[in-house]
Amino acid sequence: MVDAIATISAVLLLAAVTMATRVGGVWIMSYVAITPRIEAFLKYMSVSVLISIVVPTTWTAQPRIWLAVGTAALVMIATRSALGAMLAGTALAAFARGVGL
Amino acid sequence: MSADLPEPSQPQRPRFTARGVWRGSVEIAPIAAFVLPFGIAFGVAASAKGISPDMSVFMSVAIFAGASQFAALDLWYAPLPLATLALTVLAVNARHILLGAALAPWLLQVPIVRRLAALLFLSDANFAYAMSARDRGETDAGILFGSGLTMWLIWIVGTAIGALAGSLLGDLSRFGFDVVMVAYFAAVIVGQWKGRSDLFPWIAAAAVAVAGTYVLPPGWHIIAGALAGGIAGVWRHG
Repeated sequence: MVDAIATISAVLLLAAVTMATRVGGVWIMSYVAITPRIEAFLKYMSVSVLISIVVPTTWTAQPRIWLAVGTAALVMIATRSALGAMLAGTALAAFARGVGL
Repeated sequence: MSADLPEPSQPQRPRFTARGVWRGSVEIAPIAAFVLPFGIAFGVAASAKGISPDMSVFMSVAIFAGASQFAALDLWYAPLPLATLALTVLAVNARHILLGAALAPWLLQVPIVRRLAALLFLSDANFAYAMSARDRGETDAGILFGSGLTMWLIWIVGTAIGALAGSLLGDLSRFGFDVVMVAYFAAVIVGQWKGRSDLFPWIAAAAVAVAGTYVLPPGWHIIAGALAGGIAGVWRHG
């Protein structure tokens, strides 16, 4: 068991570290001139963060996750609704689990 | 989703209004609702580590970053290894720095107090939401604060439920909740596709991220992939 004072101190430390990561990016960029090149970099980086979360997660996951991600992508192409795509992907994953995939 | 978006034909200066906060908090609700089972899972996992319910809730209130909170639980033993904890949380949350940088051209145009408010609850999900809202012509940075606020509240409620009663609920992944965020992010990515010139940077990001999972410490593949995609995009487009 960890005592209460140690827990509170540790949580506050971790909260401070996390908050530094949240404000750090904008803080750094406030010292960088945002040229068209930098803006293009940031634009590609922002979608690349999500790609870097989704692709490795899907790569190593079970087939029902591939199905869910594929369904979400197709529904997005068809409807342009990210919410609808998310719901369709989730529903399919639940169904796939139900049938034992 | 909303009828009162600014006209795309009349570009507006970035701003931060109460209407934007409200719009963000409402529009993200259907996605944020699915944060509840993850909050519950965290509450359950924290209880299993012997952390009291009030301390579990305090963690979610103060830190509000799911993956890093789970990572911290792995290191939760007495005496607490503070340096290792801090470095682990920094590594898992370092991608926030990139999310913030990506938002900088937008947020640097709003006053500093509101800029900090917009960043207060920054997470992958409300970043993804803000990115697709930007594409629809949204200029109000208040949506970041509003959407983050909704997610924060649901994360706290989920943690409380999990810490107090989670063991009664069983494995929530049977409902497919574990794929919610990855499906949502996949949809947002697809929505960002502008044409064939995106192909090379996207493949660069994906390839480096996948390779990174094999050779980098946990979490860093996201940073590596994001930087690779940004560099490839600039390299292709000058």
